[in-house]
Amino acid sequence: MGKASFVIRRTLQLVVTLWAVGTVLFGLFRLMPGDPTSYVVSSQMTQEARRQIIASYGLNEPLYVQYVKFLQNLVVLDFGQSFHSNQPVTQVIATYLPNTLVLMLTAFVAAYAIGITLGVLSGWYRGSRFERSTVITALTARSVPTFYVGLIVLWIFGAELGVIPMSGMTSLGTQNASFWEMVFSVDFLHHLLAPALVLGFYFMGYPLLIMRSSMLEVLSEDFIDVCRAKGLTERTIMFKHAARNAMLPVVTAAAIALGYAVGGSVLIETVFAWPGIGREMVRAVLRRDFPVAQGTFIVLAATIIILNFVADLAYGYLDPRVTYD
Amino acid sequence: MAEDSERVRRRSFLKAATAGGLAGMTALAGCSDQTGGGESEGEGGSGGGGGGSETEGSDTGSDSSGSGESLPTYTYVNNSQSYNPPRHDAINLIASQFGDLGLDMEVDVLEWGTLFSRVSQEYDYSFATWHTFFVSEPVTELNNLFNSNNTDPGQGNYSGYSNPELDEMMGNYLAEPDTDTRINQAHEIQKTLMDDVPTMPITQMPQAAIFNSNQVSNWQADLANGFNSYWTMINLEMVGDNTELKGYWPETLSTMNVLGHNDESKHVYQFNMLYDFLVQLNDNAEPDPEVSLATDWNRVDETTMEYTIRTDHSWHDGEDLTAEDVAFTYNYITENEVPLYSTQAQYIENAEVVDEQTVRINMSQPLGPFNLAVANLVPVIPQHKWEGRSNPAQANIQEPVGSGPMMFDYWEQGSEFGMVRFDEHFAPVSFERRFWRIIPEASTVWENLINGQLNYEPFGRIDRSLDQNQDNENIGTRFQTAPTFWMFTPNERQQGLDDVQMRKALVETLPRTPIVEQILFGFPEEGYNIVSSAFGPLHTEDVTTYDQSPESARARLEEAGYTWDDNDMLQAPSGN
Repeated sequence: MGKASFVIRRTLQLVVTLWAVGTVLFGLFRLMPGDPTSYVVSSQMTQEARRQIIASYGLNEPLYVQYVKFLQNLVVLDFGQSFHSNQPVTQVIATYLPNTLVLMLTAFVAAYAIGITLGVLSGWYRGSRFERSTVITALTARSVPTFYVGLIVLWIFGAELGVIPMSGMTSLGTQNASFWEMVFSVDFLHHLLAPALVLGFYFMGYPLLIMRSSMLEVLSEDFIDVCRAKGLTERTIMFKHAARNAMLPVVTAAAIALGYAVGGSVLIETVFAWPGIGREMVRAVLRRDFPVAQGTFIVLAATIIILNFVADLAYGYLDPRVTYD
Repeated sequence: MAEDSERVRRRSFLKAATAGGLAGMTALAGCSDQTGGGESEGEGGSGGGGGGSETEGSDTGSDSSGSGESLPTYTYVNNSQSYNPPRHDAINLIASQFGDLGLDMEVDVLEWGTLFSRVSQEYDYSFATWHTFFVSEPVTELNNLFNSNNTDPGQGNYSGYSNPELDEMMGNYLAEPDTDTRINQAHEIQKTLMDDVPTMPITQMPQAAIFNSNQVSNWQADLANGFNSYWTMINLEMVGDNTELKGYWPETLSTMNVLGHNDESKHVYQFNMLYDFLVQLNDNAEPDPEVSLATDWNRVDETTMEYTIRTDHSWHDGEDLTAEDVAFTYNYITENEVPLYSTQAQYIENAEVVDEQTVRINMSQPLGPFNLAVANLVPVIPQHKWEGRSNPAQANIQEPVGSGPMMFDYWEQGSEFGMVRFDEHFAPVSFERRFWRIIPEASTVWENLINGQLNYEPFGRIDRSLDQNQDNENIGTRFQTAPTFWMFTPNERQQGLDDVQMRKALVETLPRTPIVEQILFGFPEEGYNIVSSAFGPLHTEDVTTYDQSPESARARLEEAGYTWDDNDMLQAPSGN
C-alpha cells in the first residue's frame, strides 16, 4: 500500500517535472538571441521567401499559441519537424540515439564493472599502496579532460602506431545493410574500442571512489566483526557482505550517470567523429533548430528523471530497511 | 606613446589579434603596401612601404579644439574564436587599428546565428566582417547588397548604402541582353562601388584544391564552386587503380532535398552532381553545350529563351528525361514559391514545351544574363517524383533521384554520404564512387589525407594545418582566385559612417597585409575590388584603390574637417 502510493506520487511528480522542463526549454530557446532562420535562409532567397519560411515553422504566431501547440504535441510525443532536415524529430533521435547508446553503454558497463571491483578492493586494502594507486588513478580519470585523452589516444594508437581507426563507427566507404549488422561486425568493434575505452576511463573514477568510501563505512560496522567471528572467509566477507551493502550509493549514482550517458559525450563524439546524439544536440542548439533541440533535451531529461525514479525503487528492493513512507 | 606608423608592432599585433596561435610568425609585413592595380587614391607619397617613421598624428595638429561633437562608440561584431579563428583574430586586429585612429571601439563576440541576425535583420552593428560568396553573376549579388530599395530589415542591403544612380546602372545591366555592353556596365558599377566603398574586400580568398597526389589529379576549377564544381568532377583523373573519390566535411548534411536545403556549399556540392542543369559552365565561366543538359539555346526576344534538350538522356531510375520535365521544373519552383529559388523565380513567368526537344522559358521581366543567373542555378527535377508533393521545400527525401553524373548510393546520417557513377551520363566522371565522411577534427582529416584514407579536401580550408602540411610528399594543392572575399562593411545608418571620407579613411586603416601574411599564412590576395579577377572580363583593374596607411587616413579625415581631442579621440566636423 505504501509502495503503491509512493509510485503514484512519484509518477505525478515525474509528469510535473517533465512539464516544467519542457516549459523552461521552450522559453529558453525563444529567449536566446539569434534568428532560427539564420541557418536556413541563404543570400539567394528573397525577403518574401524568408517570411514564408518563418510562417511554415509557425514562428510568426504569438508565443502563447506556439506554446500551447508545443504542449499538445508533447503529450503525444510529437516533437515536430527539424527546421534543417525536414525530418520528424523522432526520426532524428532514432537515427543518432542508438549510436550513442552503443558507445555509452559499452563504456558504462566496462567502467562500472572495473570501477566497482577496484573500489571494493581499495576499500578492503585500506592504507596499502594499491589503495593509493587506485585513488590516484580515479582522480586522474575524473580530472583529465576526455577530449585531451581522446586526442592523445588517437595520436599514439591511430596516427603513430596505426592500430586504431581515426574516425567514425565503420571504415571509410563502408555501407551497412542494417544497424544490427553494423553493431555485430568486427569493423565496428574495432572502431568502438578506442572511444569506449577513453570514456570508460573517465566514467570509472566515479564508482571507484564512491564504492571505496562506502566500503570503508560498511567495514567499520559491527556485522563485519560478526561475520569474521562466524569464521567466514575474507573473500566471502568482502564481496557477499561488505560489497553488497556498500553498493547502495553506487546504484543511485549509476542510475543518474546512465541517464546522463543518454545525452552522449559531445567532446568524444567530436574527437572520434562518432555520429551520436550529443553532437546533434549541440548542433541543433547552435543552429537554432528548436524542434530538434527541444526534443533531444526532453528525451534526455525524461531519461534522467525516470532512472532516478527507478533508482529510488531499487533502493527499497536492495535495502529492506528503506520504507516508502 | 609614439608608434612606428609604417608597421604594426609585433606585441600589439599579437595582443590585438589575441592569437596565441600566431607564435612563430615571421616579422610582420608593413602595413602600407599599395594594393591592386589602378590609380591609387590617397595623399600621395605615403604608400609604397616607405621607411618613414613619422610619429603618428604628429602632423595632424591634434588641436583639441573640440570643434566637433564626439562620435559614438562603434561596435564591431565578431564571430567566436572557435567558429572561425583567423577571422576572429583579424577583426580584433582591425578594431585595434580603428582605436588607434581615434574611434571609440567595442568588439562584440557573438555566436554566428546571433551575429547574422544582428547584422542582416536588426542592423544593430557598426562594422561587420564575414566571408562573402558571389556566384557566377556578380551584379545580381551586388543588386541585392546595395540596391536602395533593399534597405528594409532582411532585404539584403545591410550596409544601408543608397545611390539611385547605381540602382539605375544595375537595373540596366540586368536587363541588357548584349554581353559586351554588360561588361562595360559592370565596370562602371564596380568603379562607383569602389569609389564610395559601402563595403571593402579585405582579402580575396582563393579556391583551394587540397588532395592526395598519389590518388587523384587534373584539378580544374570553375568560377562559383571552385574545385568542387561539376566541371572539376567531370575532368578529374584518378591515378593508378584508384576508383574512389574520398572526401570529408566537418559537419553532417542536413537533407537530401534539392529544393529544401539552405544553399550551404556542403549541399550544393552534392546536388551539383546528382542533378543536371539546363546550362553548365566550363572553367572560363562560359556556358558549355558539350556538358550541359541543353545542347543549344537562343534568345527569342528580351523576355524569352529557348533551349534544345538532349533526347537520349534518362533519370537515375531509368525513366526518360524529357522536355516536359524541364518545363515542369521551372513552373513548379515558380508556382510553389520554393524559397531557395525565389530570386530566380522572380524572373520566370512560365515554361512551355515547344516540341519533343525544345523548351521555351518566358520571363516575367527582362534578364540579360539569364543563363548565368537562372539556367545555371536551377536543378532539373523529375516530374514523376515531384508532381505529387504539395510542399516541396519541406519534403523529407531519403533517396533523391536526379539525372546528373552521379547517383545516390547511401546516406548514413551524421556519418557518411555516398554516390556512384551514372554510366549513361553525357559527361561521365572517371571515378566509380564518391563519398564524404563527416570528420569534425581537422588533425584527423590531415592524417587521413596523408595516408590516403581520404584523397581530397572539399572544404578547402585555409588554415595553419594547410600551411604545415602542404609540402608533404603525398599532398597536392592548387589555388585559384575566387569570387569570394572577407568583406568589411560599415553600417551607414550609424552616425559618421554615412560619410564617404570616413569610410575611405577606415579602408585605409584596414591592415590587409598583416591579415593576409600573418593570420592567413599568405594564401589569399589582398582585396581591392569587390568584383574579383575571377570574373574575367567583367572585372576591371580601373577602380579606385586605397593605401594601407594610417597617416593617409588621418590626413583625409583632417581635410574633411575631423579633429582629435586631448585623448586622441576622433571628433566629427563642426556642424555635423
